[in-house]
Amino acid sequence: MREGKTSAEAEILARRRRIATWVAREIVPHEARVRRWLARSRLSPEDIDEVMQEAYCRIAMLPSVDHIDQPLAYMFATARNLLLRRLKRQQVVALEALSVIDTWQDEATPSPEAQAASRISYERVMAIIDQLPERCRKVVELRKIEGWSQKEIAAHLGITEKAVEKQVWTGVRAIREAWTQAETRGEDLLLGSERKEARSW
Amino acid sequence: MVSTSADTARDAAAIFIARMDAGDWSATDEAELQAWLAEDPLRQGLLLRMQAHWIALAPATAEEELPLEDEDDAAESGASSGWGRRAALAGLAASVVGVFGAVRWSEGPAAYATRVGEIRRLPLSDGSVMTINSGSNLTVAMAQQSRQVELTQGEAWFEVAKDTRRPFVVAAGKVRVRAVGTAFSVRRRETGVEVQVTEGVVETWSDGDRSLRMRLAAGDRVMISAHAVIDYETDISSSVDRSLAWRSGMIDLNGRSLANAAEEFNRYNARQIIIADPRIAQEELDGLFRINDPAGFAEAVKTSLGVSVDSSDADVIRIK
Repeated sequence: MREGKTSAEAEILARRRRIATWVAREIVPHEARVRRWLARSRLSPEDIDEVMQEAYCRIAMLPSVDHIDQPLAYMFATARNLLLRRLKRQQVVALEALSVIDTWQDEATPSPEAQAASRISYERVMAIIDQLPERCRKVVELRKIEGWSQKEIAAHLGITEKAVEKQVWTGVRAIREAWTQAETRGEDLLLGSERKEARSW
Repeated sequence: MVSTSADTARDAAAIFIARMDAGDWSATDEAELQAWLAEDPLRQGLLLRMQAHWIALAPATAEEELPLEDEDDAAESGASSGWGRRAALAGLAASVVGVFGAVRWSEGPAAYATRVGEIRRLPLSDGSVMTINSGSNLTVAMAQQSRQVELTQGEAWFEVAKDTRRPFVVAAGKVRVRAVGTAFSVRRRETGVEVQVTEGVVETWSDGDRSLRMRLAAGDRVMISAHAVIDYETDISSSVDRSLAWRSGMIDLNGRSLANAAEEFNRYNARQIIIADPRIAQEELDGLFRINDPAGFAEAVKTSLGVSVDSSDADVIRIK
């Protein structure tokens, strides 16, 4: 990768990846908390999706995320502002919605146990990967578990790099799907089976 | 499942993410992605979220912090020993996300200067990024075993790409600041050199006096000269962030004195602010201002302190 990268797009790509890695580390583990908090304001699931997506847009637009000390609190504050804007546009606002607005600070401090579970549990990863079609599963395993590059995987499996990329594409979609399903069930994808309190309501 | 436009957007996002994951991202790819993003403002968020989910799917990520122990040996033993690990270096280089062309890997030093009011963000060949503040001068020398920046004037903020084999050292006069993978700023002031850490750990010392060696963590600020530690504050992340608001073109006053605020604006603008009445110079101010708007700042001062402002001169703004 050292040769030939002379360009602005390499910088843009690196910046994009830095922010996504930061989000993966700091926000994704607690995404379900934010969603649950938004749900308390009686927003429809579609609206929650939109608020989340807008919040992610805000983050994607930041030149850098290094100045953010408390990522989760930042995410909550962003979601709160977007929610508030949305409520202001509505003609009728449920009272619950208003009472929720300023409770985010309590939510933004996860319990030590939730904080420790800062990445998807190993079993979860394996369970998601296991459900992929054979060829895709092999590629995703090598890429995500073994940490091989797409190029290395292509050489190893004797297929073209484009074919590997296509399997990665299927993998990315499948993971997205797994998240959506977990969301509709109100689960934390991250915290293994031991913590499913979300289901109680 | 019925295919909706949302599904289509997700599929498209997945294609881009898979391609970015492949590691040979071209200008055409970037242009295609930009065009796709431009169609709907929400797509930025969709892309970021899906990419983060993909990255998060790993029991242990490749972006783990590298141990800091290694750098201690390096510092103690000087530059000559401890570098015989080329094989490891090659492996490490492969894990660096991207390599940029402003400075090629083993080329001689490159000099950079910013004019008053100019703030420049510059990627370096090792994947680090430096953001140079107004009116600064520095040179960058990337070698196989070291990364060296000499700050001769002004201030810069460094986001250092991790590479334990090549310490990243900033020299400001006799003061040295060293990092492996971290983010920090260095500013030369009349009284000394100010170092602020926004991420990770850095080490500072003076070339003439190793006893001044200090280890700073994120949220720490120190002011050092060649011979003494003048001031040291720890655990002040928010204050550090505020004083680095220039990175996004802002000045965050947060209780600074009027004299200090004026000095700050004068750093960025040809049109200088003069405080004609010393009695008001120590008044404290709050607020977030655009770096290039001294007139807006003067207006705010006028209202909040009830002083008068004379902006009839194009070169100066007088507060009295």
